[in-house]
Amino acid sequence: MGGGLKRKSSSSSKSLAKSKKKKGPHLPNSILKVIANQKRPLNSDEEDDDAIDSDDEHGGDLYEYEEGVPEEESRKNNRYDRHDNYDYELPEDFEDENVESEDDVNSENDEEVEGDDDDDRHTRMLQSLTGMPSAAFEGDSKSKPVLFTEAYPEGEFNPTRDVLEGKNVLTEEDFLAPLKGTPGYQKTSKQIARMQKGTKHVVHAPLPKPERERLERKAVKGIVDEEFGKWVHLVKKNREAPTVYFNKEVNLGYSTVSAIASDFQPRTEFEKKMASVLNDSEVTEAHRDDGARLLELNEVSMEDHIKDRNHIAKMRSLLFRHEVKSKRIKKIKSKTYHRLKNKDLKNSSLGALMDPEMAKEEAMRQEARRVEERMTLKHKNTGKWAKRMISRGLNVKYDGTKAAIAEQLQMNASLSRKMNSMRDGSSSDESEDEEELNDGSDEDTPSRLIAKAKEKTLKALEDDEVPNSGLMSLPFMARAMKKKNEEANEEAKRALEEYEEWENAGGENSKKPVEVSGRRAFGATAKVEAPKESRKDSDNFYDNSDSDNDMAGVEDNDMKAVRDTASPARNTGTMTDTEKFDDVVGNPASTTTFDVAMFASGSWKKMTGGKNTESKKASKKTRVPISQAQDKKGSRDDGSEDSESEAERMVDGVLTSASKETFEIPSQEEIINRAFAGDDVLDEFEKDKEEVLNQEVPKPEKPVLVPGWGNWTNIQRKIGISKHELQKHEAEKKEWEQGLKKRKDARLNHVIISEKVDKKAEKLHTTTLPYPYTSREVFENSMRMPIGPEFNPSTILAELNRPEVVKKTGVIIKPVKFEEVNPNDEVDDEHPRNHQKQRTKKKTSKRQGKVKSK
Amino acid sequence: MEVALEDNNPMEKVLPPDEQEIDVELEAKEKKYLRGEGANLETLKDKKLKTQLASREKLYGKSAKAAAKIEKWLLPASAGYLETDGLEKTWRINQTDIAKEVDKLSTRNQYDIVLPDFGPYKLDFTASGRHMLAGGRKGHLALVDMMNMNLIKEIQVGETVRDVAFLHNDQFFAAAQKKYSYIYSRDGTELHCLKERGSVARLRFLKNHFLLASINKIGQLHYQDVTYGNMVASIRTGKGRTDVMEVNPYNGVVALGHSGGTVTMWKPTSQVPLVQMHCHPGPVSSVAFHPNGHLMATSGKERKVKIWDLRKFEEIQTIHGFHAKTLSFSQKGLLAAGTGSFVQVLGDSSGGGYSRYMSHSMVKGYQVEKVMFRPYEDVLGIGHSMGWSSILIPGSGEPNFDSWVANPFETSKQRREKEVHLLLDKLPPETIMLDPSKIGAMRPSRRKDKPTRGEIEAEKEVAIEAAKSVELKKKTKGRNKPSKRTKKKKELVENAKKTFPEQEHGNVAGQKRRIGEVAGAELPTSLKRFARKN
Repeated sequence: MGGGLKRKSSSSSKSLAKSKKKKGPHLPNSILKVIANQKRPLNSDEEDDDAIDSDDEHGGDLYEYEEGVPEEESRKNNRYDRHDNYDYELPEDFEDENVESEDDVNSENDEEVEGDDDDDRHTRMLQSLTGMPSAAFEGDSKSKPVLFTEAYPEGEFNPTRDVLEGKNVLTEEDFLAPLKGTPGYQKTSKQIARMQKGTKHVVHAPLPKPERERLERKAVKGIVDEEFGKWVHLVKKNREAPTVYFNKEVNLGYSTVSAIASDFQPRTEFEKKMASVLNDSEVTEAHRDDGARLLELNEVSMEDHIKDRNHIAKMRSLLFRHEVKSKRIKKIKSKTYHRLKNKDLKNSSLGALMDPEMAKEEAMRQEARRVEERMTLKHKNTGKWAKRMISRGLNVKYDGTKAAIAEQLQMNASLSRKMNSMRDGSSSDESEDEEELNDGSDEDTPSRLIAKAKEKTLKALEDDEVPNSGLMSLPFMARAMKKKNEEANEEAKRALEEYEEWENAGGENSKKPVEVSGRRAFGATAKVEAPKESRKDSDNFYDNSDSDNDMAGVEDNDMKAVRDTASPARNTGTMTDTEKFDDVVGNPASTTTFDVAMFASGSWKKMTGGKNTESKKASKKTRVPISQAQDKKGSRDDGSEDSESEAERMVDGVLTSASKETFEIPSQEEIINRAFAGDDVLDEFEKDKEEVLNQEVPKPEKPVLVPGWGNWTNIQRKIGISKHELQKHEAEKKEWEQGLKKRKDARLNHVIISEKVDKKAEKLHTTTLPYPYTSREVFENSMRMPIGPEFNPSTILAELNRPEVVKKTGVIIKPVKFEEVNPNDEVDDEHPRNHQKQRTKKKTSKRQGKVKSK
Repeated sequence: MEVALEDNNPMEKVLPPDEQEIDVELEAKEKKYLRGEGANLETLKDKKLKTQLASREKLYGKSAKAAAKIEKWLLPASAGYLETDGLEKTWRINQTDIAKEVDKLSTRNQYDIVLPDFGPYKLDFTASGRHMLAGGRKGHLALVDMMNMNLIKEIQVGETVRDVAFLHNDQFFAAAQKKYSYIYSRDGTELHCLKERGSVARLRFLKNHFLLASINKIGQLHYQDVTYGNMVASIRTGKGRTDVMEVNPYNGVVALGHSGGTVTMWKPTSQVPLVQMHCHPGPVSSVAFHPNGHLMATSGKERKVKIWDLRKFEEIQTIHGFHAKTLSFSQKGLLAAGTGSFVQVLGDSSGGGYSRYMSHSMVKGYQVEKVMFRPYEDVLGIGHSMGWSSILIPGSGEPNFDSWVANPFETSKQRREKEVHLLLDKLPPETIMLDPSKIGAMRPSRRKDKPTRGEIEAEKEVAIEAAKSVELKKKTKGRNKPSKRTKKKKELVENAKKTFPEQEHGNVAGQKRRIGEVAGAELPTSLKRFARKN
């Protein structure tokens, strides 16, 4: 703005010069002014020039800006709060160069013009100088026509607008000019010059408000930046620190009981008394010395002694009297007395404890009372009186009432308390009863059960009646029913037979019927004979590969018996050179098992003998088809089977020759199958892979011409499949190929890696990146190291797992304090104790943010 | 020849080694503990996060360094080894030679136990290697304390035993018997009869998940939670009968070997195999996993043993000339294979692949049923048709046990505490996956199907309905005219309609872009930057 002002002022001076040139007879403005004000005679031209020069010197700066009153201050309406104006104001005694301002002359006119800006005034000035209409000067700046209001020609008593507005200000030189040449002139001019030097006699025009404010803000910002710049390093350090510490040593008060006790001040009378005794210097001293002084101090006065003695005597006599009384009572033989006494006892709870019968009765009564109490809530202060008392607050006021109400509550509590004893008793009784029942029926359960079952089946057999009406009477329903009934009857009959058998067998062995139940089909006669055999057969049938299952056939009892005998027949013939038998085989346990094994296998051989071979053969035969069915390739099973049987043969080589006999030469087909087992394996794998790929990345279907769809006419047929269909297919195919290429197993022919998404495992992954991370790679890399105690040395563990803020409970976190921080220092987290200064992280960062936003 | 078994006396041969060497060694160990490299933080724009991650990385580095140092200096024992000089070959050394060289205590680990009547024997060790379970096919179950060679319990179940497995500790073990499998306690009491799974061919216990996995005779894979007792999964493999089953100790994935030469890998939460690998042209006879989970060894009936890298699913090595009925990896990565009466141990000492390390032949006629390395010992247990044997394989076992993981000298109190810890740390079955390190990472993006036309129509309908039912605000006078209201409403509906064709267009554009992305994704990382960007 300053520049702008200057320009204007210079232009004004130019125009002055111009006017001078053009209008010779016209007097310079200042002179006119002087004439008008001072009524002094006209001066020569040189003086004029001088005056103009001086004018030029200061002209630019003398421009006075009139600032509009801000809305806040104008108080036109009360929208703004009242406030003091801190803008710079001229002092009251300031003299404005003796110039009459327009304000003084025509203030009413001024009010309207107040808002006018510089340009306006400038043109007006030019106007006044040149006497030309304002339109001549208004080129770019103004479009509004200004009225020419000067009614009078300029004159001594008619000051120009310039003068009135204070455009051309009078200077000291103006005043001094007429005195030039007079004797005192030199002196005064010097004096004035000195004065001018000392004082800043010209007041600059204030800048416009927004400008000023901007400058102000700029200055303030500089200061603030500097002020906060000091904090930057500290804040940066705190933000970057992995951990902030607030565990400065702070006194949190007492930590021990003794510390609390040491600060104890006796307050009550009693405490004071105690303290006086405890802290008695004499006593403490006596304690410190030997006990003699203590005895002295312990002296009891005569009065106290007598009092004490009397008290003891009284107590003794009371005791004696009580004793005598009880003796007398014990001697009483009167029956009535005892009856009455017993009655009393009965009523009391003590009596109830003695007699269970009575206790039960008492408990019943108690229970009844409890129920009543719980139903009525009689003693819960629900009565009229109690309510009234409580509502009026009398229960607090009077002790009696309070006690009565409390008593009622107590009674309620005692009455409604749950009684456990009775319940327990009853439940135990029940269980006892049950036990009794069980005990009684234990011996004859099976027989009784059988009898019951029999009865029921008989009943069922008897009452199979066919309904005569309704749905059931329809012929086909009737037939079905009949069929069903027959079946049921048969079953029932069978069951009956069984029951009878059981009954015949008697209830001596309770296990037997259980065994039999599973093998109903065998009948009663078969089962006694060969339980083992049948078992073996079934074994061979179900489990074709386990020829050695027969171990099951060896009975436990046998084995035990053998173990007991423990014949020390050690087989040392098979020992090799590396065998160390010293402490291992010498172990008695292992030898016994060895023996057992010998014996057991021997017995088994004897038992199975020849009949096993048949079953073996059968099983061998059945094995082949089964295994083929199990395995489509037919190679695997045979191989494993074979190896198994081989191993068996080898193992049993010494013991069982039977298994060797069972070997059968496989058929030609089988042999060929086995020989070329691996031939199509690769092909099959490839097929598998294709299948899996098709499942996971489905191949797009090729568009086909469906007869009847889109080929009715000849033309349509010629065109064939539509172009866009084909295009679509191409795109899909491309995508499919991409998908295939993208797979991990794309280049591995021998591998299929499933890319199915495991939904259950999805919860182990994050769906989004956690907050500060923006790159997946960085995040996953930061997760690579485990931080648990199992994976890290204990020396580093604490550092790895330190929380962001370390703080003692109860410590007040003070706001951050300024401290010098070397910006080049790295964050040192190793020695947390070294920098325990309290700081807050958040506050500073906030402040920092504010500053930056400015 | 020089033989050294696990050395428990560290002060014996501490030579002043070159510091540089130590540094290199430490660095290698540190790298192991760092579990991969940190992310490139330069790409991050968030300064706060950057510094936080940087400090975290620093801590990780510190932790790894400390761990490496602990491993280097504080672990008491060094691994055993077998060294030969000159023309001697390690595989020519037999057990008697070794017995002369090693200490008295170690010679106790060489023995044969002959039990000809109940074999062939299956073996299983507890995680600590303290206890061994032997299950004879003919019903003999024996629980042995290997530390003092004490027979804890021996039972005769009286029927076929096909497999045995310890549960989480020596207190319980499971046996697959003729018809059902059973769980017994340490003292031989039958605790449970697991009827649901049918007649089981193989049993394995997943100790981190507390799952008892079994494959039965009709090719069904069952997972049963032994804590709750519920059947977690029962899967029909559809590949026929098999008795080749092994658990990958790294991730809990169960591998089955099939007759078609494929190996399938399973998890309980999926009914289809995670991976199917075609490993052999003939039936797979056995499978074994390296303890770090990256290597798998398979053996086929066509007399080949193959080693596979499970990260790439590629074959690393084929070893010709023998087929293994049973395979087992040791803790240090030695591979034992048993065939007939012959046991061969392969080692990867030079890093160039597995080659012969040791061999052991049993007495002729013994059929090896199962080989298994004893954890934390240089001992290989062999179950065979005539009992079981134990031989020394130097350098097979981990020399230092971590008492938090498996403690052979566990007291009963420690055991109980451990049990509680194990239960607390039990993993849910869904955590079984091929790459468990992906747990907690971003969910893999699921390919979305394009919405069909019908779906789009329906969506449009819904949107229009929603637009129609919007309650307009009651505006001030003049703006609340009915005409204006209807106009506004119409506009809303139009807008709702308009979005749909646009959306379709947007979808198409998105698809195009996706294809471009795909092209980028396909390229190797080095060429990715040249992928066309839209």
